[in-house]
Amino acid sequence: MEMREVDLPGIGRKFEAITRRGDKVVLIVHDDGRREMHHYDDDDFDESISSVTFSDEEARQMAGILGGLVYKPKDLERIELALGDLVIEWVKIEADSLAANETISSLDIRNRYDISIIALLKVDKTKVLNPGPDTLIEKGDTIVFSGERQHVRAAGKALFLTEGGG
Amino acid sequence: MDHMIFEIGTALLLVAIAALLANKFNFSIIPFLIILGMIVGPHAPQIGILDFRFIESAEFISLLGRIGVLFLLFYLGLEFSVGKLIRSGKSIVTGGSIYLLINFTGGLLYGYFAGFPLLEVLVIAGVITISSSAIVAKVLVDLRRTGNTETELILGIIMFEDIFLAVYLSVISGLILGGGTTLASSLLSILIALGYMLTFFIIARKATPLLNKMLKITSDEVFIIVVFAALFFVAGFSETIHVAEAIGALLLGLVFSETDQGERIEHLVVPFRDFFGAIFFFSFGLSIDPTTLLDAVWLALGAVVLTIIGNFVAGMIAGRKSGLSHKASANIGLTIVSRGEFSIIVANLGIAGGLMDILSPFSALYVLTLAILGPILTKESKHIFFLLNRIFKWVPAPRPKTK
Repeated sequence: MEMREVDLPGIGRKFEAITRRGDKVVLIVHDDGRREMHHYDDDDFDESISSVTFSDEEARQMAGILGGLVYKPKDLERIELALGDLVIEWVKIEADSLAANETISSLDIRNRYDISIIALLKVDKTKVLNPGPDTLIEKGDTIVFSGERQHVRAAGKALFLTEGGG
Repeated sequence: MDHMIFEIGTALLLVAIAALLANKFNFSIIPFLIILGMIVGPHAPQIGILDFRFIESAEFISLLGRIGVLFLLFYLGLEFSVGKLIRSGKSIVTGGSIYLLINFTGGLLYGYFAGFPLLEVLVIAGVITISSSAIVAKVLVDLRRTGNTETELILGIIMFEDIFLAVYLSVISGLILGGGTTLASSLLSILIALGYMLTFFIIARKATPLLNKMLKITSDEVFIIVVFAALFFVAGFSETIHVAEAIGALLLGLVFSETDQGERIEHLVVPFRDFFGAIFFFSFGLSIDPTTLLDAVWLALGAVVLTIIGNFVAGMIAGRKSGLSHKASANIGLTIVSRGEFSIIVANLGIAGGLMDILSPFSALYVLTLAILGPILTKESKHIFFLLNRIFKWVPAPRPKTK
């Protein structure tokens, strides 16, 4: 998610981002400490459809929750780590994802998506480092793979994620 | 003389009531205070012990108002930074230039064709060009538009106007207060004013370490005394070399903004700016004889129409040039159209310099109209855009929502 920062002279500072799902979100930090959060119409990025104002204290409270400081999501199924343009991603394989019960070679991952699979964490907590082409991917495994961002994204969408994910 | 404090107290009470009313209707206090000032004054009745004529205190109130101008411009200088402008990017410089080109030229032509002499034309053009930073910022926050794309450009143009105001005020204050009658002496006045400005810029660049040392005062009590002493002394000194005291305040603000203590001074000044600023608007209203308003109706209305059109067109061009949609671009002009404190400051300079009397009722009516109409136009910008879109057909009629 790319964050754009701009000064709003006399008002404060603005942070603007478009999330992976395509939601445009704007955060304003007012000079007087208030925070404002706007959410824009999916079809018309000029039209704010809702907004919330937080006091400084409320904003800190919300930040703690959003940042996972208060309550850590139990199932961090997808974590992304970016090293420049190279991205490493973890995805947990669900029963209905395309990759479940397939071998790495049958999916033809390296040729089709230009990514490499670094490791497979099996359901029973055993680790397969640098898995070979015959390695079977099963439901509940966590697959660790890397590549350029767009390739990782494409592969994640096509192979590993289910309808609801991502 | 005995009732001086009571008279001032009465005035402040009225100011407070007007401010409360403005707040209740969620309006800027500026038009309310001007109207209040116009209603009371020498022609107002005296009811019991309450004297609404403010004769004894008139001079004192106008002095407080003058102090208000100092604080308004001192704060403007403090807030302002060249670094900010450079960082703000090309679209703001382009947008600001387009805005100034269209509206300042429009103002000059308007004054010229209305048959005014040069100095009056310059004042009228200044009054017409400068938006009200206070009203625009308030409206944007109130309407929750701070997050919108066009807001960056709006605030950028406002910042650009403020710089223009600083330079312009110096030039015309040199011309008006310098009292030059020949071209040579007028040029000399302008040069003195610009040279004075340049001196401050150099001080801001070179003397910051020294000022940092001098302003490193831990005690708030001593700090405020030192800062205000500097403010009043510099402002007053400027007057002696025919540069408006307001410009002195602005330039000192610029110098202080470069020091480590810039932000501390800013926080310190805000309550003073708000209080004395309010008295300035009241005192401006007080200085206007409501019976003269009629003389300036057409002149003011013409200027209002010109401003709305000029601002809208400039906003449209500036917005489209920096890649905004038609709708967002329409918001620009319909937001920066509000006029307020800075227009009055320019007009006041002309009045103080003994220019034609019609400038006061003109600027009062003009500012009042656009201080009230401006925020309404901003609020209704969406409807105005769709209405205009039917005529100009910028975009196909709005798609029906699929959701």
